[in-house]
This record gives sequence, C-alpha cells and structure tokens, in this order.
Amino acid sequence: MKLLIHDLNEEQLSKLIPVKPDDTTVISDDGSIRHCLGCFGCWVKTPGTCVIHDNYADTGEKISKCEEVVIISKCFYGGFSPFVKNVLDRGISYMHPYFTIRNGELHHRRRYGNHIDLSVWFYGDNITEVEKETAERLIHANAINLDCSVKSVGFVREIEQVTV
Amino acid sequence: MKIALINGSPRHKDSASAVILQMLKRMLAEENEILELYCATPAFAEHDLKQITSCDRLVFSFPLYVDAIPSHLLRCLSQLEEAYSAKAGSKPAVYALVNCGFYEGSQNSVALDIIKNWCHKAGPTYGQGIGMGGGGMLLAISGVPDDKGPKRIVYEAIKTMANNILAGASADNLFVSPGFPRFAYKLSAEFGWRKAIKENGLKVKDLSRRM
Repeated sequence: MKLLIHDLNEEQLSKLIPVKPDDTTVISDDGSIRHCLGCFGCWVKTPGTCVIHDNYADTGEKISKCEEVVIISKCFYGGFSPFVKNVLDRGISYMHPYFTIRNGELHHRRRYGNHIDLSVWFYGDNITEVEKETAERLIHANAINLDCSVKSVGFVREIEQVTV
Repeated sequence: MKIALINGSPRHKDSASAVILQMLKRMLAEENEILELYCATPAFAEHDLKQITSCDRLVFSFPLYVDAIPSHLLRCLSQLEEAYSAKAGSKPAVYALVNCGFYEGSQNSVALDIIKNWCHKAGPTYGQGIGMGGGGMLLAISGVPDDKGPKRIVYEAIKTMANNILAGASADNLFVSPGFPRFAYKLSAEFGWRKAIKENGLKVKDLSRRM
C-alpha cells in the first residue's frame, strides 16, 4: 500500500493523479483538521489513535498499513506546509512512546513492523538554497525518527513538475 | 526595550516551554517591558499581532514536534510574516528556545534552522537559539532553583541568551542535554509512560497496541 499526504487542492491533485490507484490512500486537506494538543493521549489513553475526533485521528494507523509514503508539500521556511505538518504531528501514534538508541541518539521505538520508503516533493517558486538544505536535513531527521528509508527528496517550482 | 515572550506550546502553562520562558523572564524583567503571549491555537488574535510587531525582541519557546515546529505555531509564523511585510520600519531580533523529549538537545537543530529561515523571509534578524533535550524532565523539576542540580546546565545557556537579547546580539545556537545519564533518563521516561497508562485504566501492554 502507498500513502499520499499532500496540501494540493482538488483541481491540482486531479491534474497530477487523474485516477487514484486502488493501492493508494490519500490524505487531503478537507478543512477540518485540528492541531495536536501535545496531550500524548494517542500513547496513553487510546494507544494507536489520536484522541481528537476528526478525519485525521487514524493517521498513525494509515502510516502503519503502507510500504511507501509520498509527501507533496509547499515549502515553508525549509519545512512542510502547516497542513502537511499538522498531519504528521497527528500521526505520532505510529511510534511507540518508549525510547531506543538509533543513529547514536534517543528515538522512539517502533510500534509496527512495516518498513517505509519515503519520497518528498517540496514545491514553491521561491525556495532558497538554504531552505533546500534545511529541508534535506529535516527529511533525514524524519527518516531516523520513523525508522524508514528516504527514497527521494525533490524541489520544484510548479506542481506540474511533480512525478508520482 | 519591549520584549515579547511567546509560548508556542499547545499546553499553555503546564509545559516545559513555559518553565523555560519563566527562567528567561526572571533574567530580563528589570527595566524592560515584557509582553507574555500564548500561541496555543493556529492563529494570533489581531490585538496580539499588533503588540508583537511593536516589540524590539521576540522570543519563541516551543516543543519539538516531528523534528520541527508544531503546525499551529507554523501557521502563526506565516501570519506574522504577512504582518511584518505590511509594516514599515525596523524589525526585531528573534530568539528561540526549543525543547524536545529526546535526550539530545542537538535534535532541535532543524527546528532552529526553520526559525532562522522564517526570519530571512519575514524580515526580523535571527539572534540565537537554544536546543534543549529532556523537556519532560524540566517540567518535573520546575520547583528546583534555576541554578541548581540538573537545571543548572539549562540555566547557564539561558543566561547567555539573556545577555544576547539585552544587547540585541546574534550568536551561535547552543545545545544542552539533561544533567544526568542518558540511560537513567530513558528508564525514568519509560516508568512515566507505564504510570500514565495505568492511571487511565489500561494495562502496560496497551502501550504497544497495534491498530
């Protein structure tokens, strides 16, 4: 299974992916997402699921069901857009609260056994070289934290240049 | 001088971000006008925006979320970028205090770079950042005097930043980790998770529940 997390509008997405493949789950911005409250309820109240009842409570579970995650995000200051970041913040139940040593640092232990290949597309007409460098470092850090592999990180000016 | 202390934790007062900001406030309060604000939702109120953009210094204190800035604070920074672009005149110097639950303060470095990049886009000058590990521990020991025990290493870093804030100076980022061994921090955190889940009427094995 493949998971696509993006911040495109319907028209932009349909131009990029006219027909959604059966093996792909798509997380889009329906305008209802609420931000993470930092309550850790997804670890100690309803383990594996966010306690906020909106359409994004099962993000951690969705990540656990796939082998490939593709992110398409407008670049904000060398990081993800607020919506994409919001989805990732709401998905921390993918990991276990316990710690393990990875890359010589403390990181969260795995909750699930699936292995993810991560592909990220950052778009925007004014992404600086410094922002690209920050974004590369961010994806590398995300990969260590999620214990996954980075397949690719791309930067484009126009959404049409994204290939998925 | 007018200094805005902006707490970017969604957990308001009960947060490591608040403990850290209060330590800094005690070093700045004399002869300065301190404006304390919470950024716990995805937008600043219009009144807050006006106040923030009138300040000479901005200090953001926030928790690390997925290696970067919490989404609600990111939305507020975008809003603040627009406010600065619409406002002529001098821009403030910006300082950032990022804390994470991991042991190593260096894990906050990407979040500090994002703040620095925001400064470049929005107009303010980037002053300095501190990346702190062991955020949860800081909340647990909030009653300990600032310059004592495991808080001392954090205190020293914040003191350095306070001096830079007062001078409007820029300096390299600082990274601090808890003042006790990593294995002890790990054991203590895991004890805390077991305690928390039992308090919620669940069993320790539920920590590992798969959906």
